[in-house]
Amino acid sequence: MTHTLHRSGDAESLKSDYVVLVLPAQGFNNEGSAPKMRKILEIILNHNPVNFGDMRTGNYFRKGMKPILDNTQDNSIVHGVFTNRKDLEECIAELKEADLGISTVVTGLFDDVWDSVKKVGLTPHSINLSLGVWGKKELLPEQEVLDITTQCGHHCIAPNLVKKLANDVKKEKICIEEAARVIAKQCVCGVANPLRTEKILEKYINK
Amino acid sequence: MKINPQKCVGCALCIPYCVEAAITMGSDRKATINRDKCIECTVCYNSSICPVDAFELEELEWPRSVREVFATVYKSHSQTNVPGRGTEEMKTNDVTGRFKEGEIGFSVDMGRPGVGVDLIDAEKLLMALGKLGIEFEPENPITHLMKDIKTGELKDDVKQERVHSCIPEFKTNIERLPEILDTLKKISQEINTVFSLGLCLKLTPEGKIPEFVKNYLDKNKIPYYPGGKTNIGLGKPLAEI
Repeated sequence: MTHTLHRSGDAESLKSDYVVLVLPAQGFNNEGSAPKMRKILEIILNHNPVNFGDMRTGNYFRKGMKPILDNTQDNSIVHGVFTNRKDLEECIAELKEADLGISTVVTGLFDDVWDSVKKVGLTPHSINLSLGVWGKKELLPEQEVLDITTQCGHHCIAPNLVKKLANDVKKEKICIEEAARVIAKQCVCGVANPLRTEKILEKYINK
Repeated sequence: MKINPQKCVGCALCIPYCVEAAITMGSDRKATINRDKCIECTVCYNSSICPVDAFELEELEWPRSVREVFATVYKSHSQTNVPGRGTEEMKTNDVTGRFKEGEIGFSVDMGRPGVGVDLIDAEKLLMALGKLGIEFEPENPITHLMKDIKTGELKDDVKQERVHSCIPEFKTNIERLPEILDTLKKISQEINTVFSLGLCLKLTPEGKIPEFVKNYLDKNKIPYYPGGKTNIGLGKPLAEI
């Protein structure tokens, strides 16, 4: 399961895209972890996430805050999306302080993430490195569309939805913020970044 | 997934939501789903976009049920208790110690991003890897569809199915990276889809990518994304690796 890997985009765009993902290890420390997963979500919420969710319940835009907090389970996988390093660093510092013993993964530019991790006194342990897309790339949509759809690793964001919403924004049927929210709603886990999506949509519309 | 033609009002609002572009308008001005293309992801249903609730979940029978398992986020695999298409891979490596120094994990996310994969194409890749003698991750859902986990051949009754994506996972000694990448490159030219390739690595005690991997990728001009996932070592008890 690699749902926050393979987020395409240039380094400039990815500088506003950091995902914190936390999960217990099944068969190791999952038993009785549900309350800890709730605590972790509460910590995430202290640091201005632009999206959050639990793979067991859904994302903020679809479910709202309370059902996500109230339904953590021993196999929850919780996420928070941040748009700057300050919020990211403060979040992982609080997670470190809470010392809940649950594996934590940060997705984002390696140089930035490793720098932030070291700043809070941690050492990066393991990585998942993307070697990108191989095979019949002619089957893929345009790069801007891909930079939005790959924010959801389960690919619940349809390329045709991105194109339709871009067109609706262009025709002033909806605002760009609403388009980004509709897109974020599709990503069940809550790892889509609506603020980054707005910027990509703007670039796509003005192409 | 079905659309109830008695309920459908032909508004076409659902069409762009389908990740496989499998919904079209029929000549009767009712939305209809192409069952060959549909990968049972339930995105259309879960979007709640239909104003008259015309989408209806089906009780899927084997082997079509395979599509749902590989596409529906909320479903957990019975063997792993992990939701999604793969395993925890490096996300819990600080606790499980699954990837040790000197080892490299591969996740070949077939059909991603958003293209989908016929399992007959997935089998081509699996069998090419099987010939190299690699051991597939036993807890990965695609491994459970194999007739023979040494060759990678799939069970006959699932070969004609199509899934959103599946993620063959395995690990080897780090020195086998060139051989594995050569094989994947060759197969990538023979399949009618794409795959997104991920490598799992324990970082060095200094927190760096093992030199062998970095040097090989750089020397052979194999591009990698500037961003990815980092396990920051907060899990306990910490595995000794």
